[in-house]
Amino acid sequence: MSITLILGTEKGAFVCRSKDRAKWTVEGPVFKGWKVTASTRTSAGRYLFATSSYVYGAALHTSRDLKDWKQVEKGPSYPKAKGDAQPTPGVAVGPGFEPRMNQIWTLASAKKRLYAGVDTAGLFTSDDDGESWQPVPSLNDHPTRPNWFPGAGGLCLHSILVHGDRIWIGISAVGVWRSDDGGKSWTPRNQGVRHVIEDERFKDIGFCVHGLASDPKEPGTIYRQDHAGFYVSKNGGDTWEAREDGLPGGSVGMPGSKIRASFGFPVAVDPRTKSLFIVPLESDEYRIPVDGKLRVYRSRDGGQNWQALGEGLPTVPTYAGVLRGAMAVDEEDPCGVYFGTTSGQAFASADCGDTWRPLPCTLPRILHVAAYREG
Amino acid sequence: MAKVTIELPSMLGNVLGGLRRVEARGDTWRDALEDAFHRLPALRVHVFDEAGALRRHVLCFVNDVNTRFGEGVPERLADGDRITIMQAVSGG
Repeated sequence: MSITLILGTEKGAFVCRSKDRAKWTVEGPVFKGWKVTASTRTSAGRYLFATSSYVYGAALHTSRDLKDWKQVEKGPSYPKAKGDAQPTPGVAVGPGFEPRMNQIWTLASAKKRLYAGVDTAGLFTSDDDGESWQPVPSLNDHPTRPNWFPGAGGLCLHSILVHGDRIWIGISAVGVWRSDDGGKSWTPRNQGVRHVIEDERFKDIGFCVHGLASDPKEPGTIYRQDHAGFYVSKNGGDTWEAREDGLPGGSVGMPGSKIRASFGFPVAVDPRTKSLFIVPLESDEYRIPVDGKLRVYRSRDGGQNWQALGEGLPTVPTYAGVLRGAMAVDEEDPCGVYFGTTSGQAFASADCGDTWRPLPCTLPRILHVAAYREG
Repeated sequence: MAKVTIELPSMLGNVLGGLRRVEARGDTWRDALEDAFHRLPALRVHVFDEAGALRRHVLCFVNDVNTRFGEGVPERLADGDRITIMQAVSGG
């Protein structure tokens, strides 16, 4: 068994390898100078990386060995895009707003179909191992779109879960959507979640999902790290319940809000034991580890109870956060858990989060972490 | 049509297999870029946005003249002209 860990940063990707998950080698940067924002491995065994640059735009690249790369020529794009202005955070984009391809936020592989979630929020698919991409108009042109508004990170589709014909996606700051017919139609699924900004016309959007994960053995069980708390759905997203006992909480919402909830971004689940991992931060206003203590929180019972994990994590004051794409688990027994911080440190646990070791590197801001089993 | 050289910045080379120079033909700098895109399709998305305009932070020089300024940009390219793609460096 060996694990290849991809750390996508603001200035390139780094490839970490280990045969025992204790000693790691670090290679890179791959795509030096480029943001590496997402990766996946296709059913044909090819790696797919997403790059972006505020100067040179966004693109996808494929490789079989993480050494020789070829840029995808027919990547996701919005053919009617005009200009390059970003929508204003917290303000609906309005009618006539044409999306543009600012960044590829997430990639997902499900059997032979690939999915890409992008900013400006939209979903694209590929059925030829990533060589060409098509938009999903049922979502991208949804009638509610003029009322979508961006979060602090932009108007982005950042989370994708697929189980058969059922697909869940998360858009900031719009909410969770589900398709039951392979992407032909979509319905918002946010009942039970606190609004961030309630839309006057469309009451089922205006939610700020930050991260999604699903129970691999019970795909109707979905975990949701939201702007306004941590939630679990047992019915595929039809309804949600907050599960925050034992989590640090901070104020969220409008100034003066008395709502207290657990604010954070990433959520990952161990496919074997169903253990959940999140990194709570102090409130939506501050977005830093609570009291300067960088901690991963684990739940072994579907979010009913949470335990702070810190053995091996920094003992000095630490005020770097973990972005939504910057935590991953592997499929080993016990599971490995990996995350990277906004100050470029990366940590690995080979025992389901009980203990942690720093990876031997200090990198640019870490945007994306993924773990792949080799051999 | 003039035979020109298009020079690419190292960051673009990092996603284009190390390529730093493309030979192209065209009467104007836009024609030459279109010819380069035909030879190297992956280049287009990095130079032009989806609406077909030069990306906001990309500069294109013909020899020593910035095409954004309009004035002084040769109407017709000549053999041996050099087109340089580079990042607009703003701020410090």
